Amino acid sequence: MSTTSDTRNEMVQRGADSVFRCYQCATCSSVCKLAPEGSPFPRKQMLLAQWGRLERLAGDPAVWLCHQCNDCTVHCPRDARPGDVMQVIRAKAVEDLATPRFLGKLVGRARLSWPLLLGGPLLFWLLVLYALNGLAIPQVPVGQLVYDQFVPHWLIYLVFFPVAGAAALAMLISGSRFWSKLQGAGERRGTLLGNLLPVLWEIATHRRFGKCDAAGGRRWGHFWLLWGFVGALVATTLAIVSLYLLNHYPLELDHPFKWVGNAASAMLVVGGILLLGYRLREDSPLGHSTAYDNFFLAVVLLVVFTGILTELGRFYFRPSLACSIYIVHLGSIVTLFGTFPYSKFAHFVYRTLAMVHERMTARTN
Amino acid sequence: MEKVGVFLCTGCGIGSALDCSKLQEVASEAEAAHFATHDCLCGKEGRALIDRAIAEGTVDAVLLAACSQREKAEVFQFDRTRVAAERLALREQVVWSHPAGEEDTQMLAEDLMRMWLARLQRESLASPLEEQIEPAVLVVGGGLAGLTAALAASGLGHPVILVEREERLGGHLADVKEVHPEHPPYDELQPNPLPEKLAAVEADDNIEVLTGCRVEKIGGQPGQFEITLATAGGQQQRRAGAIIQATGAHPYDASRLEHLGYGRSPDVVTAPQLEQMLAAGKLARPSDGRRPDNIVFVQCAGSRDPEHLPYCSSECCLTTLKQVAQVGRDFPDSRCLVVYRDLRAPGQFEHFYRAVQEKSRAAFTRGLVERVDTGGQHLQVFYQDQLLNEPGMLEADLVVLATGMVPNSADGEAIREVIDAQARIDKNESEKQVQDAQKIVDELGHHRGTEILNLEYRQGPDLPVLRYGFPDSHYICFPYETRRTGIYVAGALHAPMDYSQALEDGWGAALKAVQSISLAGEGQAVHPRAGDISIADFFLQRCTQCKRCTEECPFGTLNEDEKGTPQYNPLRCRRCGICLGACPERIISFPEYSVDSVASMIKAIEVPDEDEEKPRVIAFLCENDALPALDEAAARGLKWNPWVRVIPVRCLGAVNTVWIADALSRGIDGVMLIGCPSGDDYQCHYIRGSELAKTRMSNVQETLERLTLESERVLVEECSRHEWRKVVELIEKFAETIDEVGANPYKGF
Amino acid sequence: MNTTDKPLLVLGAGIAGITAALEAAEAGGEVLLVEREPYLGGRVARNHLYFPKLCPPLCGLEINLQRLQRNPRIRVLTSTSLVAAERSGSGWRVVLESRPAWIRDNCTACGECARVCQTTVPDPFNLGMNQVKAVRLPHAAAWPHRYILDHDACSPEELEAIRRACPVDAVDLQAQPTRQELEVTAVIVATGWQPYSPARLDNLGAGQLPDVISNVQMERMAAPGGPTDGHIKRLSDGQPPQRVAFVQCAGSRDVNHLPYCSGVCCLASLKQALYVKEQLPDCQVDIYYIDRRALGRNEDVLTRVEATEGVRLVKGKVGEIKPAADGKLSLRLEDVEAGRLVDASADLVVLATGMVPNLAVDGLPLEIPLDDDGFARDDESARIFAAGVARRPEEVAASTRDATGAAAKALVAARRA
Repeated sequence: MSTTSDTRNEMVQRGADSVFRCYQCATCSSVCKLAPEGSPFPRKQMLLAQWGRLERLAGDPAVWLCHQCNDCTVHCPRDARPGDVMQVIRAKAVEDLATPRFLGKLVGRARLSWPLLLGGPLLFWLLVLYALNGLAIPQVPVGQLVYDQFVPHWLIYLVFFPVAGAAALAMLISGSRFWSKLQGAGERRGTLLGNLLPVLWEIATHRRFGKCDAAGGRRWGHFWLLWGFVGALVATTLAIVSLYLLNHYPLELDHPFKWVGNAASAMLVVGGILLLGYRLREDSPLGHSTAYDNFFLAVVLLVVFTGILTELGRFYFRPSLACSIYIVHLGSIVTLFGTFPYSKFAHFVYRTLAMVHERMTARTN
Repeated sequence: MEKVGVFLCTGCGIGSALDCSKLQEVASEAEAAHFATHDCLCGKEGRALIDRAIAEGTVDAVLLAACSQREKAEVFQFDRTRVAAERLALREQVVWSHPAGEEDTQMLAEDLMRMWLARLQRESLASPLEEQIEPAVLVVGGGLAGLTAALAASGLGHPVILVEREERLGGHLADVKEVHPEHPPYDELQPNPLPEKLAAVEADDNIEVLTGCRVEKIGGQPGQFEITLATAGGQQQRRAGAIIQATGAHPYDASRLEHLGYGRSPDVVTAPQLEQMLAAGKLARPSDGRRPDNIVFVQCAGSRDPEHLPYCSSECCLTTLKQVAQVGRDFPDSRCLVVYRDLRAPGQFEHFYRAVQEKSRAAFTRGLVERVDTGGQHLQVFYQDQLLNEPGMLEADLVVLATGMVPNSADGEAIREVIDAQARIDKNESEKQVQDAQKIVDELGHHRGTEILNLEYRQGPDLPVLRYGFPDSHYICFPYETRRTGIYVAGALHAPMDYSQALEDGWGAALKAVQSISLAGEGQAVHPRAGDISIADFFLQRCTQCKRCTEECPFGTLNEDEKGTPQYNPLRCRRCGICLGACPERIISFPEYSVDSVASMIKAIEVPDEDEEKPRVIAFLCENDALPALDEAAARGLKWNPWVRVIPVRCLGAVNTVWIADALSRGIDGVMLIGCPSGDDYQCHYIRGSELAKTRMSNVQETLERLTLESERVLVEECSRHEWRKVVELIEKFAETIDEVGANPYKGF
Repeated sequence: MNTTDKPLLVLGAGIAGITAALEAAEAGGEVLLVEREPYLGGRVARNHLYFPKLCPPLCGLEINLQRLQRNPRIRVLTSTSLVAAERSGSGWRVVLESRPAWIRDNCTACGECARVCQTTVPDPFNLGMNQVKAVRLPHAAAWPHRYILDHDACSPEELEAIRRACPVDAVDLQAQPTRQELEVTAVIVATGWQPYSPARLDNLGAGQLPDVISNVQMERMAAPGGPTDGHIKRLSDGQPPQRVAFVQCAGSRDVNHLPYCSGVCCLASLKQALYVKEQLPDCQVDIYYIDRRALGRNEDVLTRVEATEGVRLVKGKVGEIKPAADGKLSLRLEDVEAGRLVDASADLVVLATGMVPNLAVDGLPLEIPLDDDGFARDDESARIFAAGVARRPEEVAASTRDATGAAAKALVAARRA
């Protein structure tokens, strides 16, 4: 270890001041069900965080292999809350790996920047629509609304493809940067792709989450949330297929494609509620939530609920109301997509890579 | 004593297992003045029976032939100035441990009856000392422990003379602003308690304070110490009844820690140096006066190191935590990094450790510091990080060495050895002697000049010390005991301790000092024989000035005149009898324990002829450990060889070799001594008794050779208080050995 | 020393209480020593050996009990508790209640009663690890050396047989609890400690796995005449262990259990490691610790243990203990110095459970200032002084030191009008 820049205040600002209470008994590592035998966590990470060696943690797969079960936090004899600290370390890593960096910082400071992050895209839509047609809401009876008349599809593509593309590119750059940083931790064997599939299968089943003791209940919330996102992706694809290949638009409420979307929404709602409920439970073993965590969850929930309301609005709401909700929905999706590489959402990529890396180095450990 | 009455208890199975009328016959043959039996001697009636015989003048000494001396002691208390008394443990040593109704069992009981009667007949009554006792307490050392001791002694109603070598009171704490917390919730720094103590001492008219003062000479004995003090104004005389030495400790010499950079860079400092900076409110690098960005604390600098201090200094972790807390609060831009081996914040100080970590946000790691490089722009601390399992290097602007503490004691015995060796050199009797003496002077000469108390004691001018220089003697059970009666230690001199313990320690030492004065006033011995009012008698006409007694007394009781004749200081005496064991001329006696009285026990044993095949063995058992162990074995139903006659002794060191020779020349087949474990971790309550016994018995082997007797006939063994099974095994094994060796050829002579 | 005839009350006759009582009495004070058990010695009487010298507690107790019996200034009440206390003048008026003395003090410990007694009960002295007769000595070296009767465990017929067996008529089946009220000058609270309940350490298998024992149980096991007659063995199958693990800080230094360090457990385990090696030289011993806290001269024990072949000190706290497939126990921990998670094997596990002050559990009908953990503080104005582990978690050497100090403080307070 060496003396480096003093990052004590940063840990405190990010809400991980409990790290300074750690006295390195290693209970946390011993109760962690996910830590690999040869490179246990989070005891070492606690020490590095206490010493302010966050840069050393940037290439540490353990940071991402942690699923925040919080068994460590429950058993920690010093109330040093390793689960929280790991969360903070991850947030910091997302920020440091971000491309471009300023966006990472912006999302990382969600506690202050959330009005901008949420309001910016919303304002953008309002301005664009105003410029386009003066925000003219289709004058149709309840149940007859077609959103295309309000926001044409080409506009949606024009906005979403660049945003999603930019986010994907940023994520790709950050991800590959992370991947090369990981190289320091063990010798890899095999190929990334060859190991990706088994890892994705593990993620799909959430097998690892099942090992958590303290927060084992989070498994299903997280599981449904993941599958909800997958479902939403499939539904969107199907909608595009329906629109351009089948020329079937708008979809009726009982159309099978619609059901895919509805099922995805249901999964997202169930997952979100399970997670939220778990978080709010009185004896919750979950760690303290930071604004950064809450921001991500809020955006997801916003997307899901505005999505459902948008769907319902088509059939049951006054068009003015339905369109208002639709704009919020579109705005929140831009936020979700746009902040993907900088928010907690990014863990999908980093954790997957860390798991692949773990798989590839398993034998050398 | 002339009129020894035997009181035989027939309870607890004694009456049914033994032929009591035969015992009565034996008693009357041995000229017992009175014989009575009772079926429950320890009951009210039994005790009344004894009291009646005493009151009627029928007896002046009582032999209680019943249970062990350890049983019902509260019932069988006697005024030793009027009645002599002994206990014959028929229950434990005969009835419980041997088959009832057998010839050997009866012979054992009868022998014991003869032995104890003979013993009591040669005892005399105790006449207690009545001396003028000085109530004042001398406290040497005006640090926190000394101040507390002074206030406590004064609070207990005794005048106090407080002597401090430096010009100001306070010791190390004088330079300290804040201390680690001693009060709940143990998470905040506390103000230094010293000023409060200083004010209290100043306000106490009962305490005379002398600063810039050294003890030049202490003569006399407890209750009557004659003290010469040297002050700037010249010599002063004082009298005191007891002494508390609270001379504290000094930091380990950091210049020996060159590998840690001390002396190579001014920015490597010791904890006391940092303390001065913090007390002054100025945190600056000595080299350039700049505020250090990174401060690395190196724990165990000297401590826990066989090359330096093998022990843990106990307070360094707490002091470092405190200093980290101060830096964290007062200089938040300076960052503390602590490299420890084990973070030792015991007990409630765990709260403090946690609070310091939380508030100061310092970095702690566990590691071994290998070296500190001082060449570059920053100091570089190289160490092996045991939490990351890798070598590490810390760049520091200031390195603080948590140097350990070394007691400010003087090794009285070593000094004495040097003085003696020097005298031999001066005498120049033989080249060999001079060479050997020179070796001692070379090896121990550095102790000269370290004198603190300057006691006028034959055995050296200061307290003898245990390992590492701490001058106590039984630090677990009897922590204030030292090897000089009436002199107690307190504070960091006593054991490595932090200020909060020193604050407490003064109280205990004060009580012990006051207690020794009070016991001296009552003519009683102090620990461990408090209540004993007898004193030794030296029949000096027969003394050959061999100096064994003066050298071997563990408590420095005896001085010598120019010729080497012992000068007994009864108020220093603990009544262990080790001098009695040492004396080849048998001139030292206690009223109820003497060479003669125990020899008479040996003579009273009937030694059967060789053809009877009944060997006889004497076992001298230390009454503090081996004897209780044997009692317990008996109570647990263990049996042992009936040839063995047990004689309890005050200490194995109180066994005179004359008894061995007596026994063997009378045809006794073997003699064994069982005492406490000796060595560095001795259990002997008189420190060296069992060790001395071993040395003496190895000398006995020469006598055996002269008598052409087998060396196996004399054996010294060790047995702890809890080893009830072992004590029986030792006895059995010895009896077996004796059986194999065969009969003593002196039988019948 | 001049004190009034009113005694100083010492509550608790463990090593601290005995020391305080003796030192005060030998300094001239009148002392009333009150103990709730039927014998003196408290926790140390159950210890096999003391650290760091590895010498028997009975050795020092022997001297202390001899001093105590010889000293007319000490009155001892066993099987007695404080039931009420109120300020009276500058001192206290206290009410003491003694449990029924089924066996009176004229008992000679001859043992006749035990011969006719058939009923057995779990032996409280040996922490219930073995059965003893309902009428018995509390333990072989107990003082007062007097039998005790577990009255409720015996049938009326058996009680009568016990009564008749006594040759000195010491058995009193009509005994009643007795109360006495008296004035005392000051109170020394030396009420000691109890082991932290291992049942709360369920992740460590305490109370569920027979071969997971506590350090106090180990102490009894190693003692000659203890429940296993001094043999260290597995309670499950009676076999000597081949691998013993000591789990440090089982409860201590843990905000979920005892937030303080119990101060003695490191040394206790180091000492017990030596018991094991002495008895079973081929047995492997592993000590899992956070910090090795061997202060002062106690460092010698650590040095000695470190130099002992077949003893490993491993930095890492044990998170979980589970039965392993081979009938042994599996301990989950991170070996910090190796940087690996390990499932260490052991066939006997000793939990270094901490000390809880009795005051925090049982309390006393006396207003004593306590800290958050239940340790007592001195209250000079109320003339209450604490000694031993009632005061802070500490070793015997420190207890005897501050018990002597507490005696001094109490005597000073008593001198003030």
